[in-house]
Amino acid sequence: MNLSRTTDGGWRLPRHELALLGAIVLVFVGTGWLDPNHTYFANWAESRDIILRNTSLLGIIALGAAVVIIAGGIDLSAGSMVAFSATTCGLLLAVFSDVDDKRLVTVPPLGIAAAIGGAMLSGLLVGTLHTWLITSIRLPPFVATLATLVGLRSFARAMCLFVTKERWGSESQQINVNTPFFAWLKEHNVWISTGTFLVLALVTWLILSRTVLGRHLYALGGNEQAARLSGIRTENVKWFAYCYGSLTAALAGIFLMADSSVAQPGNLARGYELNAIAAAVVGGCSLQGGVGTVTGTVLGALFLRVVIDAVSKLIKASADVYEGMIVGIIVALAVTLTQFGQLAKAGRTLFPGSRGLAAIPTIATFAGLLAMMGAANVEAFRGRTGLFGGVVGGGVLLLLSAIRWVEGRRAS
Amino acid sequence: MTPIIAFRGVGKRFAGVVALADVTFELVPGECHAICGENGAGKSTLMKILSGVITEYDGEISVRGQPAAFGGTRDAEAAGIAIIHQELNLVEQLSAAANIFLGREKRTPLGLLDDDAMEREAATLLAELECPLDPRTPAGALRVGDQQLLEIAKALSLQSDILIMDEPTSALTETEVARLDRVIARLRQRGVTILSITHKMDEVFRLADRITVLRDGRHVKTVNRAATTPREITGWMVGREIADHDFHGKRSRGAKVLEVRDLTLPWPQHPRGFRLKNVSLDLHAGEIVGIAGLMGAGRTELLETIFGAVEPTWTGEILLDGRSVRFTHPKEACDAGIAMVTEDRKRLGLFPDLDVAANVSLCGLRDALRDGLLSRIREEALVAGPIRETAVKTAGPHAAITGLSGGNQQKCIIGRWLLVKPRILLLDDPTRGIDVGAKAELYHLIDRLCREGLAVILTSSELPELLALADRILVLAEGRLTATFSRAEATEQAIMEAATGGQAPR
Repeated sequence: MNLSRTTDGGWRLPRHELALLGAIVLVFVGTGWLDPNHTYFANWAESRDIILRNTSLLGIIALGAAVVIIAGGIDLSAGSMVAFSATTCGLLLAVFSDVDDKRLVTVPPLGIAAAIGGAMLSGLLVGTLHTWLITSIRLPPFVATLATLVGLRSFARAMCLFVTKERWGSESQQINVNTPFFAWLKEHNVWISTGTFLVLALVTWLILSRTVLGRHLYALGGNEQAARLSGIRTENVKWFAYCYGSLTAALAGIFLMADSSVAQPGNLARGYELNAIAAAVVGGCSLQGGVGTVTGTVLGALFLRVVIDAVSKLIKASADVYEGMIVGIIVALAVTLTQFGQLAKAGRTLFPGSRGLAAIPTIATFAGLLAMMGAANVEAFRGRTGLFGGVVGGGVLLLLSAIRWVEGRRAS
Repeated sequence: MTPIIAFRGVGKRFAGVVALADVTFELVPGECHAICGENGAGKSTLMKILSGVITEYDGEISVRGQPAAFGGTRDAEAAGIAIIHQELNLVEQLSAAANIFLGREKRTPLGLLDDDAMEREAATLLAELECPLDPRTPAGALRVGDQQLLEIAKALSLQSDILIMDEPTSALTETEVARLDRVIARLRQRGVTILSITHKMDEVFRLADRITVLRDGRHVKTVNRAATTPREITGWMVGREIADHDFHGKRSRGAKVLEVRDLTLPWPQHPRGFRLKNVSLDLHAGEIVGIAGLMGAGRTELLETIFGAVEPTWTGEILLDGRSVRFTHPKEACDAGIAMVTEDRKRLGLFPDLDVAANVSLCGLRDALRDGLLSRIREEALVAGPIRETAVKTAGPHAAITGLSGGNQQKCIIGRWLLVKPRILLLDDPTRGIDVGAKAELYHLIDRLCREGLAVILTSSELPELLALADRILVLAEGRLTATFSRAEATEQAIMEAATGGQAPR
């Protein structure tokens, strides 16, 4: 059956997924061609590995975010959960290693198993805490997970100080991890994390589309009251959803710790929760709940990473500055496009009234500034960045004004 | 005297269902006019049209002789029409004064909020309404009766001289009702025309000068209070055509399956204090017990309590096959063989994002498993039964549920419950918002299920429906059981009288 069917004139998901796939190919080929070094074609293997690795880490968290969103909730705590799980993992390694081995070079297999198990358990604990806050205390999911977003990272840092002091007598904000197992994880991080991501995607797909629990997740997100009145234990379904959200983040935490050979709760995975939610939303999950697919989420994560990577190819210097902006624009565009049909049907216009009028120069200003900054990276525009920004800003201003004019004519 | 408001041929359809048709009557300035009608008679629709909430309708309304074409509630306000909704429209966090002036705040010459002036004026208005409260009190901290007067004060400050009140006393204590009566009398001295929607006969005959009766969206009569009796009014409210079929013949009543004894469901923070009070009933296999009652009488609450869908704060006893039960979650009721089709299909029954098959299979998914996983083939086979049995008209099991008509959606939900093979079926107003043809099909379906041994409790806003289907009819009024009729004794007149408290119950 096709759960993704929307019935009110919105896009059907297969179309949505095809569009995403098309966009991914377009961005990839376009960047390969525009990039003066043609990195994608010239150095295919390395580009592929970077994109695969980043997509897997984002995608693992996004799958959990998607399950929570489909169940009609939201989990803002994923980034801090990653840090919490990585810290738990690192600290357990420290506990099981020799006291003199502060760089954690040799840890017995039991210690490694305990560290990984403990990290996953930390996810289970946080998911259970979320469920309790949401179903028993009746906090809105936004508030409950906002509290843990702020609280968990701080908790992880305190835990790091406490354990390092107890163990080694001196406080430390981070724990270095150099065990062969995690070094091996790091060395093969592309294929192990990609493999894990694909297996997790398959498992999530099985749960969502082929189990009773999955159907209950969609039912809960689509109409919570009706789900309860149909005899579904909605609290238990929520418990699963929030644990799944935290567990996927915990899993990502283990990989991220291995990648950097250090568990550093202060900065690890800051802001990842929003990227994961963005990937799910771009992939077609509705924040109203009840709608979304695994395929869409996987493609959403891939699309986000491909675009971010493309920008880093086109803008050589400090491309990470632009990451948040790209994610923001893509989310706004993706949701606008999916709702475009309904907007037009309801007779709504893009730039109504004085608010619309005020929005036009606002968007033009942002577009112009962005073009100006972007032009600084292109040889041909050296010294003429201001001019280029002005032309783009003016063009956007004219274009949007024309759209508003057409809308006004059509309305009257 | 020229009428202050004249309705001429006013009609409205919602998705093919007639809510209002060809309503014509007039209001004279300064009168108190009561509009009576059963649930679904079209009272609320008419008021929404008059207050500018509904802007597209047939026919014509004129206010003070001028044709009115309201583009929204603001236009209606500008024409001097204010409506006090049953669900009050206040911003609970803001003060009483701020609520009165919301959207038209008074300002100082500097453009800042002039709280002093607003509070002074609010205090004057409220004092006039016998409601001497501090205008700085947050609206949410006020009692319902005071909140209502706050809304009336707002209407007065808008210089409204036509006041629509929707079931104004439904949530008031007796002293608050008496105060409201005095306020209404005072408003009328000021020349305000009052249009009151109500189905309480004592209220109608205490306050109204003239009474208009609506039935099935049509205007039945407008009469002077002095020229009529409560009995006559209830007679006009009912008197609907009886459904074509009489389903009772030859049903065989089986063993007693459900017994409710002295069920009382408290209602904290409400002057009445209870949603249900000392309600008792029996239900046997193979019979349909009908529950009649107006909106707010406690029909839904009764079914929800049996089904375990309310917080288990009730007292009394529910016996299933002679064993006392106390369900705390619908799942437990489900497992015990009870199914419930909820009243508000859209809000409490349908899953708009799931297709027809998934909507039907939801409660019986366990039977669609193969090796622990859902099998599409098994699910299709599973839902084929109920879809056929309830005669759902759908393009296929994977069509969108939202594309079906209301009647077919309802059949899907009944089908969903048939999958759990219940012994007791609770149907809460199952034909609401469904067209006539589909209603007849649902009647046949309910009758057949009952003959197959199902025990059914059916509530309905439509008396002919209960008379056509039920073996016995219980009447609820304000949470109490006011009458029980056997099929032979029941008449619409008698039921309506018991439900409105117009005449003493039998």
